[in-house]
Amino acid sequence: MANWEDCVHCGLCLSACPTYQVTGLEMESPRGRLVLLNQWREQPEAHDVETRGWLDDCLDCRACESVCPSNIPTGHLVEAWRSQEAPEARPPRSLIQVLELLLGSPRGLAWFRRMARWSQTRWGDWMVRQTARWLPPGARSVKAGLPALHSRGLSRRRLDSDGTGSDIFFFVGCVMDALYSETNEHAADLLRLAGHRLTIPQGQRCCGAVHRHSGSPETARHWAEANIALFEQSGAEVVAVDAAGCGAALKEYASLFPPDSPWQERAQHFQNAVQDVVQLLADSLPPLSRQDANPVTVHDPCHHVHAQGIAKETRSLLGRAGYAVTEMRESTLCCGSAGIYNLTHPDKSQALLTRKLAQIPDDATYVAAANPGCLMHMQSGLSAQSHKQVVHPVDLAWQAYRDAGLCATRSVTS
Amino acid sequence: MTGWLDQLRQALGSEHVLTHPIALTAYAQDGYTLASGRPAAVVLPASSAEVQTVVQILAAADKAIVPRGAGTSLSGGAIADSNSVILHFSRMNQIHAIDWHNRVAEVDPGVVNQDISRALAPGGLFYAPDPSSQQACTIGGNFAENSGGPHCLKYGVTLNHILMADVVLPDGTTARLGNLAGEPDGPDWLGLLIGSEGTLGIATRLWLRALPIPPASRTFLALFDSVEEASRAVSDIIAAGVIPAAMEMMDKLAIHAVEQGAYPVGYPEDLEAVLLIELDGEPAVVDADRRVVHGILAARQVRALREAESLEERTLWWANRKTAFGAMGLISPRYYVQDGVIPRHVLPEALDTIGRIGERFRIRIANVFHAGDGNLHPLLLYNHQDPDEVARVKEAGSEILAYCIRVGGSISGEHGIGIEKLQEMAWQFAPQDLLAQRSVKQAFDPGGRFNPGKLLPTPGRCIDFRPVP
Repeated sequence: MANWEDCVHCGLCLSACPTYQVTGLEMESPRGRLVLLNQWREQPEAHDVETRGWLDDCLDCRACESVCPSNIPTGHLVEAWRSQEAPEARPPRSLIQVLELLLGSPRGLAWFRRMARWSQTRWGDWMVRQTARWLPPGARSVKAGLPALHSRGLSRRRLDSDGTGSDIFFFVGCVMDALYSETNEHAADLLRLAGHRLTIPQGQRCCGAVHRHSGSPETARHWAEANIALFEQSGAEVVAVDAAGCGAALKEYASLFPPDSPWQERAQHFQNAVQDVVQLLADSLPPLSRQDANPVTVHDPCHHVHAQGIAKETRSLLGRAGYAVTEMRESTLCCGSAGIYNLTHPDKSQALLTRKLAQIPDDATYVAAANPGCLMHMQSGLSAQSHKQVVHPVDLAWQAYRDAGLCATRSVTS
Repeated sequence: MTGWLDQLRQALGSEHVLTHPIALTAYAQDGYTLASGRPAAVVLPASSAEVQTVVQILAAADKAIVPRGAGTSLSGGAIADSNSVILHFSRMNQIHAIDWHNRVAEVDPGVVNQDISRALAPGGLFYAPDPSSQQACTIGGNFAENSGGPHCLKYGVTLNHILMADVVLPDGTTARLGNLAGEPDGPDWLGLLIGSEGTLGIATRLWLRALPIPPASRTFLALFDSVEEASRAVSDIIAAGVIPAAMEMMDKLAIHAVEQGAYPVGYPEDLEAVLLIELDGEPAVVDADRRVVHGILAARQVRALREAESLEERTLWWANRKTAFGAMGLISPRYYVQDGVIPRHVLPEALDTIGRIGERFRIRIANVFHAGDGNLHPLLLYNHQDPDEVARVKEAGSEILAYCIRVGGSISGEHGIGIEKLQEMAWQFAPQDLLAQRSVKQAFDPGGRFNPGKLLPTPGRCIDFRPVP
């Protein structure tokens, strides 16, 4: 793999980098970070709080990797630096442990969902507002961006497997499962409409992306092993996922394991099977023509467009479902959510959010964003403007196919 | 002693004055990797008034000033020494107004070149100069370097597209040069400053000419089995009276690199050369030109001819070409790009000569260039950790420039002189010419504080840019 040493200083990455865009500092650009990584290695006196900050401000959005003519994996290099060379740049252990507890198992997820639901009740909302000044700004913005919750159960508990002969292992995710269970159900409906049969193993774990990005790859590896084993047992050919962040992490499973690990080949096999739901659906649903559809604009999550090269597919899925897509400027620039970046770097995260929301075209009713972090973060900034909504493209497509009588409305289960 | 730093902090806010040694190291280089230098400080002004204040403070402190846009200069134009302060224009990045009726865009110097065309597109306009680094480079840098780009063959360089500019001069005063009519009275001060590489004045606001997007545009790839035939085709096309919007060439090694990069086109592996040709204008004219060009290419043994069938395809072809320099990182630790210009008709001979120079100095050379206007970009590949190779690459580069001058060309088409080609300036210009240029500099900047050590060879001045490694 290419290293920082291979950078030829062309500077083409600068305009793609969200942190350079909001700070204007060379140290906050990919090219600058490569210089900083070099300094970090060669000069122990470089190990100060400023340098660590400039490096750690990296969002892991991978935009620099998309545009680098020399294929320098700058985002990956910063990620490796976090886990191997700068344990102090990791988020507080307590935060990681809380996340492990909440996201790590179906039981933890159920608690997470209960807390989220409670924060939306009249009492909970009042309590959160009373204590808001003690909450970190990131936590407040997560609260403000929570979707309107209908379901009481995790989606995996309510998604029925189609039994033997299933070609798709449906990956429900953690936050998707707890907070966006309806999106998961809609994705399953559309996959079936496209002729697939699904298996949804109950024991699947979080993809591990957050832990990996924040420098705890051991946890990610542990969960990866569980997911790989379940996939092998399922007999499915494809792993379908509807969260951009999870998809990108699942497609990099092999890099979690050392080259000589017995898991290496199994992880490779797993990651080759991963496909995003918009990839699977882009060309396989019956085309609808609708005159009345509200105009939609697309935000391309970093882990779609930069990590997986998915952008056209989202538009063709929405187009097929009868929506007119109006493009927003800088659709591929990070919204500032970036995993738990909104919790660890609230100021930069808010600056990016403001910039992102300003680009939403006036005539767009919906902003389609295929990632739970983006959905929550962008919705949190929009709450005041009621006429616009940030929605998963799968939900928009599903509504169209339901209106056309091709998907059944589900009764809200309790 | 830190009086000037405190004054800068007071004027701009301390977060916009950088002195941390690691931060300064991040600013030690631009796109030219054969030298580096750590500035005394970096400041990030937010307005013309702040730029003026900074210039005044630093004039009083006798500190030099190096302006920097995105740091993509290929001649070291944005490299500073330890007595210089870098003015980084990243915070001055607004497009202030677009006058659709008169087709003028009013912009800050830190605006990215490509963003201007993006902002103009909804009204059917574009900004013509398109350096290959246009996705990152800024208009202030384009002003300083008089940047070109593939489409300058037909549309002209930056000089032809800036109508008016506000500048801050070395004495801390400001001036508005040019006018919106594009035909100012008296001396062409604007023309003097554009391309002066930040040595005479710093642009703080620019008014740019916007052009209507041509109604028809066709883009072709002509694949060749011989560099010589491709070069002759270029000459033939111009000789036939066709002025393409762009006519670019890449040789085998360059193709090999870009095909491994972010935007592979899928060129056959055994290809010797490719021409990327774009024709634009009125549909009937484009059709007529297309027939002429096809005829010439066929006569020159073109192996295959492809025409872009969609905007996506055209965009991909251009992205492939425009990231060619950066893609050298895939086949070599570093590259040194030359910018010599030659009369078009000697193209085949020039490529042959460059090849022989490469052999003699044992340097691999890839060729990517604006064939239509004879602007060569030989990319000399080297390993920066091999001092002998670094020495050889510089010598080979000089030799190529000497050849360009010998055949009646020039040492720079669009990348500027910077600190890279100081020695070669004395080959290109007679002593009297240089003296005249020096007296202009003397008149504007008697203290020599604006981008010192660049553009003009200054006998006797000790410059402490460190060669790399």
